[in-house]
Order: sequence, then C-alpha cells, then structure tokens
Amino acid sequence: MKLSNFIIVLLVGISFAMFGGCQEISEELADIDPEGVDTLRITMIAKSSDNPVFTTAKKGALQAAEELSEKYSMLHVEVDWETPATEDANRQVEIIRKAVRENADAIIVSCSDRDSLTSAINAAVDAGVEVMTFDSDAPESKRFTFYGPDDEKMGEMLADKLAELTEGKGKIAILGGNQDAPNLKKRINGIQNALADYPDMDNVGTYYHPENEVDAIALMDSVHKMYPDLIGWAMVGSWPLFGDKLMDIIEPGKIKIVAIDALPVQLKYVEQNYVQLLLGQPTFRWGKISVETIVEKLHEKEEVKEIIRLKPIPVSIENLGGWSRQLRAWGYTDIPEKYLVM
Amino acid sequence: MSAKNSQQTPQKDKLSNGQMFAYGLGGIVNNLLGGAIGFMSIVLNVGLGINPALVGTLQAIPRLTDAITDPVMGYISDKTRSRYGRRRPYIFIGAIAVGLMFALMWQLPPGNSEMFYFWFFLIGSIIFYLFYTMFATPWVALGYELTTDYHERTRLMGVMNFMGQFAWISLPWFYAIMENDRLFSDSVEGARTLAIVIGVFVAIVGAVPAIFLKEKFVAVDADSGEKKISMLEGIKKNVAEFLKGLVTTVKRPEFLKLCAGTFFLFNGIMLVGAFSSYITIFYVSGGDNDMGAKYMGLFGTINTISTLMAIAAVTWISSKIGKRKTFILATSITMIGSLLKWFSYDPMAPWKVLLPAPMIAVGMGALFTLMGSMIADVCDLDELETGERREGMFGSIYWWMVKLGMALAFGLSGYLLNATGFEVELGGAQSSSTFFWMRIVDVFIPAAAALIAIISVASFKITEERALEIRSELEKRKAKTAPVSAALSSE
Repeated sequence: MKLSNFIIVLLVGISFAMFGGCQEISEELADIDPEGVDTLRITMIAKSSDNPVFTTAKKGALQAAEELSEKYSMLHVEVDWETPATEDANRQVEIIRKAVRENADAIIVSCSDRDSLTSAINAAVDAGVEVMTFDSDAPESKRFTFYGPDDEKMGEMLADKLAELTEGKGKIAILGGNQDAPNLKKRINGIQNALADYPDMDNVGTYYHPENEVDAIALMDSVHKMYPDLIGWAMVGSWPLFGDKLMDIIEPGKIKIVAIDALPVQLKYVEQNYVQLLLGQPTFRWGKISVETIVEKLHEKEEVKEIIRLKPIPVSIENLGGWSRQLRAWGYTDIPEKYLVM
Repeated sequence: MSAKNSQQTPQKDKLSNGQMFAYGLGGIVNNLLGGAIGFMSIVLNVGLGINPALVGTLQAIPRLTDAITDPVMGYISDKTRSRYGRRRPYIFIGAIAVGLMFALMWQLPPGNSEMFYFWFFLIGSIIFYLFYTMFATPWVALGYELTTDYHERTRLMGVMNFMGQFAWISLPWFYAIMENDRLFSDSVEGARTLAIVIGVFVAIVGAVPAIFLKEKFVAVDADSGEKKISMLEGIKKNVAEFLKGLVTTVKRPEFLKLCAGTFFLFNGIMLVGAFSSYITIFYVSGGDNDMGAKYMGLFGTINTISTLMAIAAVTWISSKIGKRKTFILATSITMIGSLLKWFSYDPMAPWKVLLPAPMIAVGMGALFTLMGSMIADVCDLDELETGERREGMFGSIYWWMVKLGMALAFGLSGYLLNATGFEVELGGAQSSSTFFWMRIVDVFIPAAAALIAIISVASFKITEERALEIRSELEKRKAKTAPVSAALSSE
C-alpha cells in the first residue's frame, strides 16, 4: 500500500474511532434497552383535558419522561395521561383507584376537590403507590409533595407592582372571584398584607363574584360607578380578561390593572395597555417538574421537600414577545404572530 | 499575487504525506489536551460538588503560570543542543509525562472535602500544564521549522489543523461517556477511566512526531570559544538573554500584527459562543430546550464540516493569492456570517439559525492554518535580523496569548450575559430589551473583532516575494556558516 493511501485509510480510521465511536456510545445510551430495565409507570391526572393549561402540563410530563429514559439506561419512564374531559372530582377518584388496581408506581394529581380526593390519595399511598399533587393541593392527605405556587407570595407581588404603577397612592380594589376558594383567599391575604406597607393606598374593598367574564365585568363596572376616582385593580384571577368586553368599560392605561394568569387570550390586554402586569404560571413545568420529582424520589431515592414552589413569571409589555414564544414552545397554538416576533 | 507568479515548492522543501501526518497527530494531541480539562471539569461540580466559582479558579490559575512557563520553555527549547535536536527530546518526554499526569490528576479519591479536591486538582493541574507546555511548545516550534518553503508551510499547517479538528469533534462527547450509567457507577468513576484512556492515547500518539520527524535547523552555539562561567553566572546570563529575547519577540511588529489578528478573531467568536446557544434556545425556540438543542447540534455539525472544508480551501487559495489576502478574504466571510446572524435569528423560521454556520467556520478554519505558516515566515525574518532561530519563543508567546484570551473570553462572557439582563428563571420570557442586547453582543462583537483582525493583518509585510528574498539571504548566510554547522552536527 502506498504511503498516501495508508494515510487516507488511517485518517478515516481515526474519524470513525473518534466520531463514530462516540456516536455508538450515544446510541447505546439512547436506543437500546438492556435487560433488567426498571419501568416506572406514572399516572397523571389533571383537572380537565379541555383546558389548555393542562395540555401544556401533559407536554412537559411527556418530555421529562423521554429525557429521563434517555438519561438513565436502566430506567424507562412511562406517563399515562388520565384526565377527565371536564372538571369532575369523582371521576378523578375513580381514576386513582384504577391506577392502584393497575399497579402504577406513582400518581400525579391536580385536585378538583381536596376533600373528595384526600381519602382516595391516602388509600393509594397505603397500597404502596406514591402520590404527589400539583397546581391544586390536598394538604391533609398522605401525598409526599405538592408542586405549585406560593399564593400568598403571588398576592404580595401583585400589590407591590400595583403600588409601583400608582406611585403608592390612591384608591384601588381587589377582584376576588370565588370567596370560598382556598388558593384565592391566600392571594387576597397576600395583597392585603403587602398593602399595609403603602399607607397612602386606599383599598376600597374585595369584590367576589361568580368566576366568569360577564359577572366579573359587571361587578367592576358597578365599582367604577361607586368610586369614579378608582385608579387600580388587583385581580387574583383573570376572569374579566377572557374576552374583549372589558375594553368597552375602561380606557387603556387610565386604571392600572395587575392580574394572575397570563394565557394567550389575555395577551391583547397587555399589548394595548389595558393591563400592566400579568403573573403567568409556567404550566409546562407542572408536568415536567412533577415527573422529575417522582424519578428523584423513586429511582434516585432522594429526599424530596414537602412543598416545591413554582415561581410565577411576570409578563408585561417588556417581555410580551418572549412570553408569547414561550407559550408557543409549551404547546399553545392560538398566539397571534405579531406577538411572536416582538 | 497571481497564480502565475506563485513559486513552485522545490523538491527539497517538500514534506512527505507521512511527515505531515506525523506532525498532524501532534495537533490531535495538542487540541485534546487543551480542551479535555474544560470538557471534563463539569464532573468537579456535578460529581464532587465543588463550588462552580472554585472550578473556575482551578481553570484560571494555570493560565497565569503559563505566562511564565510557556516563554521559558520556548527559550529552553530554542537554546537546547543535543544529538536528538532541540525539539524532539522535549516532545517525546513531554508527551509521555503529560499523558501520565493527565491520567493521575483525575484519580480523585472518594469521600474527601471540597477543599481537598480543590488542592488536589490545583496541584495536579499545575504539574499537568508544565508537562503540557513541555510537549506543546517544542511541537509548535517544530512545525514552524519543518519546511522553509512559503506554501509548504501552509499545507503543513492545513494538515495539522484539519487533523486537530478531530479532537474537537470528540470532546463534546466526553460528558455523555462519563455519565453513562451502564459503563460507570458515577461520573467521577467515568472521569477516572476516561482520563486513563486519554492519557495512554496522548503518551503514544504524542510521541509520534518526536520519533518520525527530523529537525531542519541546528542551534548555533553562540557561546563556543567563550570561557567557562559559574552556575550562578550562567543562570543570570540565561535570564538576561531570555528577557532580552522576550522583549525582542514582543516588539517585532509583524508578529504583533499576527497576534492581534488572532486575538480579536478567535476571542470575538469565543466570547459569544454561549450567547448563540442562549439566543437559539430562549429567543428562537421560545425556551424549548429540545428544539434549541436540536438546532445547536445541527449548527455544530455544519460548523465542523465547514471548518474541515474551509481548511482545505484556504490551503489551496493561499497558494494562489498569498497568505495575507487569504486571511483577509476568509475573515471577511466570517464577518459577513456574523452580521447575517442578525437576520437569521427568526422565531418564525428557526431553521435560519443554521445559515451563518458555514460562513462563520471559514475564518476559524483559516486562522490556525494561516497563522502558523505566517509565524514561520516571521521566524525567518527574525533570523535574518538577529541571527537566531527562535520558533520556540514565538510559538510560546503566540499560544499563551491565545490561551489567555480564551480564558478572558469565557470569563467575560458570563458578565456580558448578566449585563443584558438575562435571568435564567424566566426561560423564554426574557424582556425584549434583554433579547435585543443579547443579539447585539452576539452579532456585532465578533463582527467588529473580525474587522479589527482584518485591519491588524492588512499591513503584514511578509508577502511571498519578501519571504523568498529573506529565504535567499538566509540560504546565502547558511552556506557561509555550513562548515560550523556541520562540525556542530557531528559532535
């Protein structure tokens, strides 16, 4: 063999050894299931499958399962999506019982009703199935952890931002939604506690209403008539922002509005300056972090905190484009292109 | 210079494929050693829990010791006279010693404190870098002197740079190998084993240039005929000579132009390496890590293939239009590629991030192909003016400048990212102004740096004609001193 041919052969050999060899190891990591692989079956139960926030949570869970199955050669993670079409606590109880019967290793659940689900969760844990909650907790149950926001802290963030927007003075009101909802109560507490630091801000009241757009806007309209000098709203939910009607009763920027949740339907209010701040929840992480936490506990045998906090993301005109792209990446499809290129 | 004016390489100055290949193997080892610690250091944090700031310190301190050891090694090598030459003994011993040290420094015993690991690794690193310098400095210098031909030097550097790319292809896989839970119980064990494999590879392959290559130049014994002096006086004399040589080297304008060209082009791209990843993941892909990683992977693959092609193309074009013009052409393409990024970061068409990859690769492919060759030309000019061949000194200062610049670029990169307002917890929901400044940095810093590199090298005076004149003068001088050299060679 001529020296030049020898060199070519050797170069090709080195290429294969260094590049192909690495590729082989990578493929070995990713594709081949050796004997003795531990399969971890997780049943995921959200509140309703017709709600896009839970669809993105599902996407996060599936992505985490895929990534973790690639990372650990001796582990295969399966996520079984079992969510009622519409909110139904009894149906969730049935699904938990079915998961136990079918020998699931773990259950992730967002509780539609904490009382109904507590006993079902306890029964599952007693049967050897680990349970964690996300979004909506059942704190008296035997679940090992809850992943969700600190509602009181979110309320404080709303109040602080509203104080910044109103320069710490003037009349403001709180839109409270369902008076009996525990998470909303905590948010309202957070707002009221934080407002104590702003003596020149006058909270004219907390207003409760059925959780829909029409009732929320009707209530706001009546409050505006009672207090024509009202300059701000802190909303613990985004009910008035689920359509276009709010635009008929307020002028952009005249009344400062801060609210919790930042779904695609609400973004136009930020763009047109009707709303100055939304606190968005990274719902994709509901699924992703939950699956990762289950693997940490069951596969890695690590200690897991009783409560894992989800950090809300402030959304304003400044990061409307970034937040829109993030929503798209999480699986939302109804986002106007003009936001995606901001 | 047009093709018809370009000189053909005389047969005596041509290097065989085997010689080029042997030298190129050193390129693989050099790049592997240069990059391996950086790619494996993640184990210190993830596997052993060492604070990231301490890990950063571990990587920074050897850069400071390099500032002293690199030029000293260059000086020692330049001044060495032995029957095996002034480069090969150090390459041979250095390759074995650095391979052994690399394997040893990763044998981190389990169950110790963070500070134990810090000191263990720091001491290991310093010794490792000493041996690395012992291998790399003479190897670099050997490349400058293997051939005296203007174009053959570029071809040699092209082969070396081409082969050296294979190390960069393998390095990103190291973490996956160490983390493979089927091969190793944990990443620390993975690092121990991988280090032994690399150490053996380095010791064997790194010694090849020393075994199969012959040195062209023999150091002239400037002290012959002088009276014997004491050891202390000898040290003083050598230190004085070293410092004088150092000053002479850094004062040479043509060398400084090459250093500036390299510093700006290379570090301009290194500085924003992380930015490109962040923009691709968080801006273009909206925080979708999977999608971002896919595009970064494709970008890397296109970049690597393009770099390999660029090295071949640059080597050929340089023989037609000369090194300086080729460098300016290649760097201009990189500058345009960098500017193109402004338009290619499009969240509505993420695939566009791939468009600038081949253009950016051209400059990097050209850089270390042409610079090595051009420094060899400077060494000839230096010999003409000083009567000494000091490839070791030039090579060591040049590469120390590259390494220092790279360390600075990595350090500064984090500060720049913070300055844009980037907050990792926000994921893709960064503010518009943050994304704007990230893109400004990512696009305009490498473009501006490339422009400065072009300006720096544009006035480089050693053209092919001038190189031939210098070579001719040196040959005449060599002919006059041939009897002396022959006598020295036979000692």
